[in-house]
Amino acid sequence: MDTLFLEFFQNTGFYLCDYRNIIMIVIGLVFIYLGISKDYEPLLLVPIGFGMLMGNIPIFKGLGLGIYESNSVLHYLYFGVTQGIYPPLVFLGIGAMTDFSTLLARPILMLLGAAAQTGIFITFLGALALGFLPNEAASIGIIGGADGPTAIFLTAKLAPHLIGPIAVAAYSYMALVPVIQPPIMRLLTSRKERLIRMEEPREVSKREKMIFPIVAFLLCCFLAPAALPLLGMLCFGNVLKEAVVTERLAVTARTSIIDIATILLGVTVGASTQGDVFLTSKSVGIFILGAVSFCIATACGVLFAKFMNLFLKSKINPLLGAAGVSAVPDSARVVQIVGQQEDPTNFLLMHAMAPNVSGVIGSAIAAGVLWSLMAKAM
Amino acid sequence: MYGIEAITANNGWAISAVGITIVFSGLVLLSFVIAQLHKGLDLYENPQKIKGWFSLKKKPVKESDNSLETEGILLVLTEEQKEIAKQFALLVSTLEDHFSLPRLLELARISGVKNFHSNLNILLKSDILFPDKEGFFCWDQDLYIETISH
Repeated sequence: MDTLFLEFFQNTGFYLCDYRNIIMIVIGLVFIYLGISKDYEPLLLVPIGFGMLMGNIPIFKGLGLGIYESNSVLHYLYFGVTQGIYPPLVFLGIGAMTDFSTLLARPILMLLGAAAQTGIFITFLGALALGFLPNEAASIGIIGGADGPTAIFLTAKLAPHLIGPIAVAAYSYMALVPVIQPPIMRLLTSRKERLIRMEEPREVSKREKMIFPIVAFLLCCFLAPAALPLLGMLCFGNVLKEAVVTERLAVTARTSIIDIATILLGVTVGASTQGDVFLTSKSVGIFILGAVSFCIATACGVLFAKFMNLFLKSKINPLLGAAGVSAVPDSARVVQIVGQQEDPTNFLLMHAMAPNVSGVIGSAIAAGVLWSLMAKAM
Repeated sequence: MYGIEAITANNGWAISAVGITIVFSGLVLLSFVIAQLHKGLDLYENPQKIKGWFSLKKKPVKESDNSLETEGILLVLTEEQKEIAKQFALLVSTLEDHFSLPRLLELARISGVKNFHSNLNILLKSDILFPDKEGFFCWDQDLYIETISH
């Protein structure tokens, strides 16, 4: 009987526990705390945080419980991440809930979304310089796009062994948008610039909104075909929304489908952060580079807005550049908050949504470009 | 391998340059197409404007720089728009030479002019109504007569 008890004890988490599991469990608890108490991206941080708890329960290998064991339930659910299935489903939902009106009213703001993607490629260079392989560097660079599903999608294709740290870094920085972006925005703009008021956008017709996703899809995917899975679903979701006659499908896409995909994506990505796999020097490097990437992307957007103002008659508020990173709609909200700190009567939110949604398109194109360039190199 | 050497060895500079260029080109192209989209739709919804272009080509070119542009817009007025222009002419005749636009709009509203906002916009675009640069507007009677006589 003593032997049975001893054998049972040796299979418990208390016996098998490693300090790395404890560290990851603490990080998971922090994620859950930030999500629930601070309201930082709760829909993402809570599933990821709980997934971290699930992934770091010390288990006896061979029972088919761990996410990296081929016959485990978690492994089957993780299949959607490793094969890049969940991100396009998330994009379908995003498309079905996004209103492109402000972008259509002022298309020039789309350039801010392009400028912010520069951070991706600068970080790609930084990662190469730090000794990462090109496919790993590309996956790290995409964190600067501040687009979790895109980062996971590209990493699943190029560097599946880095999905855990990259996904956690991408979602962490997305959640920390209100903390990371404002100091950069204030540093790079004068008070006078932050006070600039934007012109009222023109009214956009229903027909324009209906045609836009089709034109955007065809144009962008002809240019960067590798962006097809993400942009295709994003634009398809938007077509469902704008077509009106497919409202039932649009509702399903923006509620049930995106919710299911987000839950499975969050939990399995969280569970993939097993301490022994996750806590490596590479992960630390990815976290540092991710932060750098995010900061560069924000700075590029703001600086490009200032550059555009050199040529524009009707000046744009350079704070809008920060919304070029595609953390929808958090970075647009940050622009609104920083703008209103200078002038409480200045409403920038709807204007910031234009670079924000163009950032989503831009990061998907960037991912497509990197994928196609790396696939040839691999 | 680390640093610049690693970037160069992995063709990093070229990949970054190509990547940034493609992302920018894609979004610039898309923004250009979007900027033209509403104009294209406007033509689709008002095909008489296209007819107006072709009619314009048959007309002799006038000496004045403004005449060309004005002529182009003159030709797109439909019969209904001409009728409404006549109603506006009557209203303007009750005002002073330099009048405020809100006053004219108010009169149009009271008089029951159909779609007075959009029709006033057409008169502004055709330069029949033009700003005096002091905050008021004037009525170009010659241009008006020329317009409705077409």
